Amino acid sequence: MDCADCLERLYAYLDRELRPEEIGAVRAHLDDCGGCEENFVIEERFLARVRDCCAEDKAPSELRTRIVTRLRMERDLRR
Amino acid sequence: MAADPFESEALSFLDALYRTGLRMTRSEAEAEDLVQETYIRAFRFRDQFTPGTNLKAWLFRILTNTFINQYRRKASRPETTELDDVEESILYRHMRDVSPESSSPDPEAELIDNTLSSEVKDALEALPEKFRTTLLLDVEGFSYKEIAQMLDIPIGTVMSRLHRGRKFMQKRLYDLARDRGIAAARAMPRPAD
Repeated sequence: MDCADCLERLYAYLDRELRPEEIGAVRAHLDDCGGCEENFVIEERFLARVRDCCAEDKAPSELRTRIVTRLRMERDLRR
Repeated sequence: MAADPFESEALSFLDALYRTGLRMTRSEAEAEDLVQETYIRAFRFRDQFTPGTNLKAWLFRILTNTFINQYRRKASRPETTELDDVEESILYRHMRDVSPESSSPDPEAELIDNTLSSEVKDALEALPEKFRTTLLLDVEGFSYKEIAQMLDIPIGTVMSRLHRGRKFMQKRLYDLARDRGIAAARAMPRPAD
């Protein structure tokens, strides 16, 4: 696997979407290639940062109350 | 009244549905309406849910479809649906330009960590709807296959949207950091002549 092949699989690897045999080939290349490894580490950090930022937002407690009330109405209507 | 297990489990995904709706609609009020509508539909169509299968994916499918239907109907003018191609390795090559004086051995990592959470969210919200929706489902941990099924698109399209959407975000965050770097440099006291 050369650098171009490796970088082409970067997101599929980080997203855990690669087939097992491809994972082995990517890891073997990363062990030998500091440049590619650096790219993978940075991208992984970027994806984690995006996930963490999104996870900060919580639903307002009034929304939960509103939905629970509304679902109770739906259930009563079904009876 | 005994707790309804379907309802309890469905409500355990409230935060995840809300934060996704918030980024989709870019409005707290609209996100609340969207999420409430999602739960009402889920409740009405609960017979179509197969117990033991992935309830989170089922709820997100309803959320996404509801959003897309309402959004596309509401958009009077179609928004830009494409993204210009961003230079492939924008994040890797240019970070050293942002803070050349930085002594950090790892300026790219420093840039990512110093990016404000609001900037990351703005960059997500700046994506065209199709890209935004795909990235948000990815953020919630769905597989390429699940996203493809939810959006009714091929897996290759999921992959290309993720790729281009992420590069777009990185360029935007890089541009912001560069502007901030320049602003910081201007604020520095001038060296004496």
